[in-house]
Parts: sequence; C-alpha cells; structure tokens
Amino acid sequence: MIVEPVALANFFTVFFSAAMVILTGAVYALLFAYSRLRQRARLMPLAYVAYLGLSVSVYTLAQAANLFNDTFWTFIVGLMLLGYFAAPHVVWHLCVATHDQESVDGHKPHDEGNPSFIRP
Amino acid sequence: MSQTAWWASESLWRKSAIWVTGVSFIFLIFLTFDTVDHITAGSKSGRVKAYSVINNRIDYVFDAKRNMQVPVIGPVEPLFGKVLTEEEAEALVSKGKLTTQSKNCMNCHTLLGNGSYYAPDLTKSWLDQSWGSKETREKSMVEFLMDPTDKLHNSLGRKMPNLGITEEEAKATVAFLKWMSSIDTNGFPANFKPLDQSDAPVATVTAEPAPKASAAPAQQ
Amino acid sequence: MSALGIISNANLNGGQKLAVKYFTVSLALFGAQVLFGLLAGIQYLNPDFLFGILDFSVNRMVHINAMVVWLLFGFIGSVYWLLEDESGTPVVGLGLGNLNFWIFTLAVVVVVLVYLLIQVGPGELKSIWLINEGREYIEAPRWADIGIVVCVLIFFFNVAATFMKGRFTGIAGVLVLDLVALAGLYLAGMWYTPNISMDQHWWWWVIHLWVEATWEVLVGCLMAYGLIKTMGVRRKIVETWLYIEVALMFGSGILGLGHHYFWIGTPEYWLTIGGFFSALEPIPLVAMVVHAVFDAGYHKLKSSNTPALAWIIGQAFGNFFGAGVWGFMHTLPQINLYTHGTQWTASHGHLAFFGAYVTMILAFFYLAIQKWRGNVWMGSNLVGSWKWKWSMFLLWTGMIAMTMALLISGYEQSQIERAIGGSDWVAYFAAQEHPWFVQGMVWRMIGGWTFAAGFVLLAWDLMTIGKRETRPALVVDAESH
Repeated sequence: MIVEPVALANFFTVFFSAAMVILTGAVYALLFAYSRLRQRARLMPLAYVAYLGLSVSVYTLAQAANLFNDTFWTFIVGLMLLGYFAAPHVVWHLCVATHDQESVDGHKPHDEGNPSFIRP
Repeated sequence: MSQTAWWASESLWRKSAIWVTGVSFIFLIFLTFDTVDHITAGSKSGRVKAYSVINNRIDYVFDAKRNMQVPVIGPVEPLFGKVLTEEEAEALVSKGKLTTQSKNCMNCHTLLGNGSYYAPDLTKSWLDQSWGSKETREKSMVEFLMDPTDKLHNSLGRKMPNLGITEEEAKATVAFLKWMSSIDTNGFPANFKPLDQSDAPVATVTAEPAPKASAAPAQQ
Repeated sequence: MSALGIISNANLNGGQKLAVKYFTVSLALFGAQVLFGLLAGIQYLNPDFLFGILDFSVNRMVHINAMVVWLLFGFIGSVYWLLEDESGTPVVGLGLGNLNFWIFTLAVVVVVLVYLLIQVGPGELKSIWLINEGREYIEAPRWADIGIVVCVLIFFFNVAATFMKGRFTGIAGVLVLDLVALAGLYLAGMWYTPNISMDQHWWWWVIHLWVEATWEVLVGCLMAYGLIKTMGVRRKIVETWLYIEVALMFGSGILGLGHHYFWIGTPEYWLTIGGFFSALEPIPLVAMVVHAVFDAGYHKLKSSNTPALAWIIGQAFGNFFGAGVWGFMHTLPQINLYTHGTQWTASHGHLAFFGAYVTMILAFFYLAIQKWRGNVWMGSNLVGSWKWKWSMFLLWTGMIAMTMALLISGYEQSQIERAIGGSDWVAYFAAQEHPWFVQGMVWRMIGGWTFAAGFVLLAWDLMTIGKRETRPALVVDAESH
C-alpha cells in the first residue's frame, strides 16, 4: 500500500500544516538571509525558531497525511526536514561566491569573504 | 581577489544544467515507455482494458489489499443487447470519444478528474446511481444526451445544453463512458457508491431517495 | 530619436518594432480572457445567463485559450524585444518574422470566431481538424496546431539565426534550447486516440512540460535580461544564476510531471515519483528567498522603471504563493485524491498563472512602453503614477479575492463532493448547492469585477504612461558604462 488517503477529519490539518511548511520555510530563509546580510547575529536564533516551526508543521502534516505508516513516505519527511534546513545555507554560499566577481573590477568593494558589503 | 570558487563557477552550473536536464529527460523517456505499455488498451497489467470490455458488467469495488476501490469486470452484459468484437467495440468507443471531444464536454465536465468544474465528473458516470436501475440506464443515458435541457438536473438551475447529439453519437458516447469506467484510476474517485448491478430484483435500488441524503452529513 | 514622451517607432530597433505588435495583440487577448472569465463566472451564479447562446463550455474555453495565447504572444514579444540588444545584431529574417506575426494573429482570430460562432461539430475527425479538439487548454483545431508549430518554428529561426550571427550569450543558449523544447513538446498533443488514458498522458506532456518547465525557463531568461537592463546586475552573475535555475526547474519540473499521473490510469509508481517531487519541489523555491534578499540588499532595488520593477517583485511573491503555498497544500496524493478536479485546482491555477507569468509579461509591457516613448523617465514620482499603482492594486486584490473564494469553495467541495459523497452526480450538486460554495462563487465574482477594473486601468495606463514626462530615464545598465 503506497498511499493511505487523508481522513476527512484531518483535511483542514493537512491544508493548514502544508501551507505552514512553505510559509515557515520562507520566514526561516528570510531571517537567515537578512541576519547574514546585515550581520545581525541576534536575528539568527529567530531564524532557527522559524525552522523549528517548520519542523512542527512537517511533523503535523506527516501525521495527518499518514506519512509515517510507510517507509518511503517517512524517508520523504526526513528529506524535507533536511532539505529545508540546508537549502538556505547552500543558496547563501552560492550568492556570496557568485557575487565575489563583482569586486574584481572594484565595482563594489568589500572584505574577503565578508558579505556585509551593504553596510561596511 | 581570488577566482570564483569552482562550485560557484558559471561553467560548472552550465554543465550541471545540461546534465540535470538530460538525465531527467532520459528517466522520463524510460518511464514513458513503461507507462505507455501499461495504459495501452488491453494491456497486460490490466490497468486500461480492451475496448470489448463493454460487453461485460463493470463494477467498482473496494480492494482491501490495495486499500482503494478498483474496477471489477463481471459477467457478460452487452451494451444495447449486442456483443461486439474487439474491432467493433473500438470503433464504437472511438466514435464516442470523438463525440466527447467535438461537443467540448471537457469544458464543463471533468474526465478522469481533468477538465472544467461546472458539471459532474464523468469518470464513473456509467455507474452513477442517478440513472435509476441497470435495466433503464442505457436508455436514460441516450435520451439524456440527445436532449438534456428538459431533464432533471439539480435545484441550481444549472443544466446541460442541447448539443445536437444524434442517437448514433449518444450510443457511442455511452459506450465510451462505460469503457472509461473500467480504467484502473488508483482509487479515484474514492468512496464512490456504484449503481446496484446485481441480478437481484432492482426495486429496492430505485426506491432509494438519493438526492439530499449524501449532502446531509455536511450540513450539520 | 524623437521627442521624449511621444510614442514613436524610431525609438525602437527592428526586433522591438515587431515586439510591440505582439504586445498589442497580447494585451487585447488579455482583455478577452478577462471578459470571458467574467461571463463564465456569472453563469455559476445565474445559469440561464447566455444559456444556449454562449454556453459555459464556450466561455470557459475562450477564457483559458485566450490566456495561453496572450501569454505566448507576450513571451514571443519579449524575446523579440531583447533579441537585437542581446545579440548585438539586427534580427535575421525580420520580414519573415513580420509576416509570421500577421499570419499567427489572423489564425488566432479565425480560431476564436469558430469557437464563438460554430462552437461544436458532429462526432467526427473533421470536427477536430476544423472546429475544436475538445481537450482543455489545447482546444485549437488540428489545422491551427500545425500552424502554431510552423509559427513557433519561424520564430525559432529568427531567434537562433540572429544569435548565431551576433553574440551567442549564455541567455541566448538557454533561450534557443528552450524554444526547441517548446515547439517539440507541442507535437505530443497533436494526435487522436480513442484511449482517454493515453490521451491525457500525452496531453500532460504539453500542458505540464510547457507550463512548469519550458515557460518557467523562458521567464528565467527574460528575468535574467531584465536584471541586467533595469538593475545593472553583471552578466556573469546573472547567467550563472540562470544555469542554477535551469538545473533546479528542469530537475524538479520534468519528473514533477508525475503529480498529474496519479489518477488517469497510469501505473501506481507515479504516486511515488509524483509524491517525491511534490514534497521536495518547493524547497528550491523557498530557498530562493535567500537569493532575493541578497540581491535586494546588494543592488538596493534602484531601478529606471518603477512599474516594471514592482511587477517583477510581484512575480517573486505571486510565484511563491501561487506555485509554492497553493501547490503544496493539495499536491500530495494522500490529499490530492480528494482535491483533484475541484475548485482547489482553479484556485491554484489562477494564482500560479498570474503570479508566475502575467506579472512578468506586464513588467515587459512597461519596459517596452518606456523605450517606445523615447526612454522616458519612469522612476519614482512619475507624472500620473496613480494609474499604474491603482491598476496593480486592483489586479492583485481581484486576483487574491478570486483565489481565496475559490479556495473556500474547493475546500467545501473536496469534503462534501469528494470525500463524503464519493463524487457522483448527487454528491457533485450537493456540494455546488452548499452555502460555502455559492458564497465562494459570489466573492469570486466580486474579485473578477475588481480584476476587470484593474485591467481597464492597466490598458489606459499603458496607453498614457510617460506621455507628459519630460525627464529622460535613469541609466543603471552595468554594460553601458
């Protein structure tokens, strides 16, 4: 049995928690990026609070959508948690590394590896 | 200033884009070959039945092992009282399919859940209890298709227009709908309660007050 | 160059002269989409409205076909717009391209007239060849299908030949390959079969792989060009990111096709493949928020064209909510079993198409009108800027209202029709009669009228914006200094 359909009583939970997965994911990414960009270390814990919210949403969704009843779907849940956690880090590093070229022409000076070029 | 890191370089990502696209597409091609095999009419896996399945009773029954309703082929019950060869059946179903396309059914109805949402889903319409009994079903369907406007629809006033469907086209459309109801759709639609097609007297079925009953739980 | 603020073709290069023709037809068809959407929406509330004259099926068909074609015209126009600039050479075969435009437009007019006046035919192959194919989104009769492929190939020739002659940039490479896919995929939907499973299997190749793969990449190319031109981002960075996006979009989009193969007769393994991609597809979309914040902080959103920039920012939000949030809410097969083929789909479709594509093309309309008027000032405190701001506000408000209303109707429908009633005739109408559904349709209509008002204002604005401006545009292009 690959898929166990959602019970009627869980419809709302599924819709709501699924939306919350994406929204908390975005808040996490937003706070993460903003904290790094403006070098506001104090914001970073908030980013991880958002990620915690995402984890709770993923867990709630997985419960309501019967994902834990099957190995494959449990594996997907794990991948989601990992993917949402890591992806903003990866994208950030890519942003910094790709924009490194900018400074070659003295276009916008900044310290080596320091992304705080917006407000030195 | 140092060179861009290799993992952020333009050339690496250009290659990645090409490889990712290529590999995904090759996977898709392989899956497509397999899928086309499964969904060819009369395929070995039985997901999509041969057209001559319209010679038999088709039911939609819960399968505990798969945890879903699946089409079940029953005894011989020819459509319009005539057993057809596979070629004849295909020609009839094809005529019906052409009718559904040329009459633009899909821009009000859904078929296999795809289409528009202004009228009921047709996936299992052959098995719908609203046709009354299995004895009157074929006739009711043909009459409805040929001139739907004065038939009972709903209390909304929404109704199907007269699309100039001929008797030949209507019969073919019924054949197409019967054939479509035999497709294994992984349990879509779920919880569908098919028309009673058993050979027992049908009086108990027709007496059932269908309309408001199923809507009741939702109104609370 | 003629005086600032006056529309003049002298301000445009050859490709751009052709582009504004495509944009004009595109805008008109956008109007048709809105109009027929309104008619279809009214019929939900008053089924007797135009019954037997323009039935719901006709209005709905024109509504969605006008959308496909106006977006396509918008994309084609946008590509012609950037072609000479990007390649550094005049368009090769521009005369042919012009002829192609007129043939394409004429064909669209004929198809729509046949839809409206003939509507349906007998159940024979000739109806499919001449009147309509009866397959959602690609209803265009077969003769028009062939015409579309020929027109896209001529367009492709213009694009490929021009880039070959001039600079073959990274954007050019992606664009050319994407157009090959665009033309090639359309062929998958151009044959008849009595087998509805087979039919829908290939039909999704066209619909999904166009909309969720090739169109996305096309928008990526337009966005890349737009970033260089309006915000002065350096080419090497933009092209690296374009490749990253192509990898992500094709990597998730091609096999993401699986989420359409849950219930149409295709094998059970598609539940697994579709589920896998459905669950993980939003991750890159969400992570791109980081990129947006980074870019916004880096470039400080200085722009020479405020309306265009505002629509591009809207694109980021619209795509995120329409595709990300609205998609993920109902795409896992465990819940899609009940939401498939309900107003859920309509809710998601409206927001996703608007968010991902409409916004982008409107941004290009604004870029085009700026140049057409001699590169007039379109920064902040633009004369008469209330029009673009209000049209944007009304379009967004109307769209959000429609999306929310359809969501509520779809939510009710998934429960009463699908889960409880089992999707039969009686269950369908039980759901349609429910107050949540009916009220959803009322609010959708209010959203629709709001959107229509926004469209009227948009059309007026595009005809007048920059007319009374005397300041030249701000220069931000990194490549030009």
